[in-house]
Amino acid sequence: MVMTTAVRDGTGTSGPPRAASPTARRRARRRTYLWSYVYLAPMMVLLLAFIVYPIIASLGYTFYRWNGIGDPSNFVGLDNFRQIVNDSIFWRSLGHTFVYAAVVVPVQLVLALALALVLNNRRLRFASFYRTLFFLPVVTSAAVIGVVIQLLVSNFGDSINSVLLDLHLIDQHIDWLGDPNFAMAIIILVGIWHTFGYNLVYFLAGLQTIPEELYEAARLDGAGRLAMFRYITVPMLRAVGVVIVVLAVIGTFQIFDLVQVLTSGGPYFSTEVVNTYIYHLAFGGSNANAVQPDIGLASAASFIYGLLLIVFSIVQVLVLRSLAKRRGTSTGRQG
Amino acid sequence: MSSSISRRSLLRGAAALAGASAVGSALSSCSSDSDNPGSKAAVTITYWDWYASQAGWVDNEIKLFQQANNGIAVKKTTQVSDKYADLVSLAYRSNNPPDILMVPKNPPLTQQVSQDWLLPVDKWATKSWQSRFPQNSFVEGVDVFDGKVYTAPFAAPAPSLQLYIHHGVFKDAGLTNPDGSVLLPKTWDDVSRAAEAITSKSGGKVSAFGFGNSTNTSLAWWLDLFVRGAGSPGGAAVGGIDGMDYRVGKWTFGTDRNYLDVINLLMEWKNKGWFYPNSMSINDEQARAFFERGRFGMTIGGVWNQPEWTKHKFTDYSLVTLPSPSGTPKALFYGPPGGKFVAVSSKSKHADEAWAWFDWLYSREAGKRWVEQGQGLSVYQENNDPKGVTFAPFAQYVALAGTAVVGPQPTIRNPELTKLELAAVKPDINDVLAGVYTGQIKDVQGALTSLTDKMNQALADAVKAVGAGASLTDFAFADWDLTKAYTTKPGA
Repeated sequence: MVMTTAVRDGTGTSGPPRAASPTARRRARRRTYLWSYVYLAPMMVLLLAFIVYPIIASLGYTFYRWNGIGDPSNFVGLDNFRQIVNDSIFWRSLGHTFVYAAVVVPVQLVLALALALVLNNRRLRFASFYRTLFFLPVVTSAAVIGVVIQLLVSNFGDSINSVLLDLHLIDQHIDWLGDPNFAMAIIILVGIWHTFGYNLVYFLAGLQTIPEELYEAARLDGAGRLAMFRYITVPMLRAVGVVIVVLAVIGTFQIFDLVQVLTSGGPYFSTEVVNTYIYHLAFGGSNANAVQPDIGLASAASFIYGLLLIVFSIVQVLVLRSLAKRRGTSTGRQG
Repeated sequence: MSSSISRRSLLRGAAALAGASAVGSALSSCSSDSDNPGSKAAVTITYWDWYASQAGWVDNEIKLFQQANNGIAVKKTTQVSDKYADLVSLAYRSNNPPDILMVPKNPPLTQQVSQDWLLPVDKWATKSWQSRFPQNSFVEGVDVFDGKVYTAPFAAPAPSLQLYIHHGVFKDAGLTNPDGSVLLPKTWDDVSRAAEAITSKSGGKVSAFGFGNSTNTSLAWWLDLFVRGAGSPGGAAVGGIDGMDYRVGKWTFGTDRNYLDVINLLMEWKNKGWFYPNSMSINDEQARAFFERGRFGMTIGGVWNQPEWTKHKFTDYSLVTLPSPSGTPKALFYGPPGGKFVAVSSKSKHADEAWAWFDWLYSREAGKRWVEQGQGLSVYQENNDPKGVTFAPFAQYVALAGTAVVGPQPTIRNPELTKLELAAVKPDINDVLAGVYTGQIKDVQGALTSLTDKMNQALADAVKAVGAGASLTDFAFADWDLTKAYTTKPGA
């Protein structure tokens, strides 16, 4: 940048380039930063419009009883918060959300890592095809997946039941999505399948950053596959792994569409997660089942859920940081 | 050990994924538009409804209307019924509502009027225009607000739910009269006996009953139909003040013994394995298809079932309504005097043309075609003659018209009640039933009592919010005879 300025000024004919003045340097730096801001601007505008503004606006709604029509006028103070905190369905939904995250994240990560290791094998034929195949559910709308699974279970549920009954694995017909003991399990299974392509791609990207020389050196030292995985792959994936875990946890806490389409939170809230709970409060019932929506209550629930997630995220970061520190210390000792 | 993703393979993959997502998007679209192809009308008005199974009637009316009104085209959009109220609300928020629309069930009509969504149609709906309707069709607080007309009744009071009987299943179970006709159940015991026969004769391959409760509404239809037969006029309706027992002006789920009795009866049937096992997870449309295929012998639904079955050439069924312990129903279905169907939007730039379509839909002839096509009953009594109906199951429905009458209407007694904004109570009766049916609620009486207390408390709070002009006694009509139409007198 200094050279360019000098040439433009017509002063750089020969000899070492003259150092730019501090003002010119500041101006040049500002110009560089300006472009960064220009590139960031569209994203920031979207972020402000669709994330920051709704958060601030919904905070205002939490103090009103309001069905979303006209302007809110029925001020109820903190009553909406009191109602949510005392609502057993909210806590039940929160429990389901945590169960979903607690099962989906570890299962999905283990599966994704295992498959990424397989797909990362240079000798595997049609690897690109398999990658596309495993990533396909990610780009398919959850609503479509939900409808298809619902149709499959309702149309072929009888056949599945007949087989299981014949094998004496069950003693009575199961309504897979209508039975509180099975509905959540099906949502979890579909959830794992639907989004595990993301983690697969992340792990694949992480694996491809590990220098091949490390494995070659380890092989020369006589290391086996397991040892290479334990002492090369896992440590080298740690940084990517932390990001993948954080993203996976955040993703699972956003579960909504799959539940809404498959069970709508039923039967009797047995699959209700916080996001469907909020949705049902905000939009009431259906045309056939006309229940007054309550935007104020839904906003209060969103706010409480947001706070809980912030606390959870802080705890998660602290735990991961402390684990990383402990590992660092132990590695230092070993070293 | 590593293999990188080449640009070409990435592009190939992206193309495949884009194709898949395009298919997904196509599958997930759930509203439909219909236009008049090649129409060169001077004005096109937009019209919204949620009539999916009634689309044939609407489309035919549009065709006839456009033929009769050369300069006007109607662009119909049928929205998914579950989200209709939300979509209308969003359309008004974005200042882009249709010119004319079916009145959504939410928010209450009074709020739609106070928010200036709808245009008063008095300019066209003169006294002479109103005279074509039966007496008491235009009622303050129902379709008239502050003396201005916004909508009008389209259908006559009709039994909203019926028990449908599959002839093939009944005949296979030997449930026939000496003349070979199907033995139709009238009492709760008749229904139980028929169910037992179907299950035992089919060796459990055919279920006695089935429903589709994935939207958490149709299980409550069973409670509604049976409890009315036993004499509980509120049934199991959800939303606003529906479902209240106007004899006492309260909800009585926990205090009226009939509710517990019917729920116990349903659970007894369930425990005997008489319900189609996937009933809680399939939707009403799937249940309708399974009934058609004879997977179960009885289902509860409305007259909206019939056009779909007719389209599939399935006509071998009958219907009854209000089965009761003794065979004579002690309560009926009740509707308000007046009614609502479509309204013109206050934002319409083509109000005259929208009114023309409004007027067409409310014509006697359109109502006649509505009945002839088996869609329902018309507000014009002369259209509802069962003798004029050739299709047997629909004639049965028309003949049941006497099981629905006008009931008490608190807003006529006290117009201040149009300001009532009742907070939703959750879990509602649909939720409680689902909880009991799936074994998550063990104490049924406790759940019904808790629901009743919460709903009556919500009513008390809402009445208090209206102010001194409203009282809980406004909802009680002690002189109501459940088997007769009731005329609510203003201020009485």
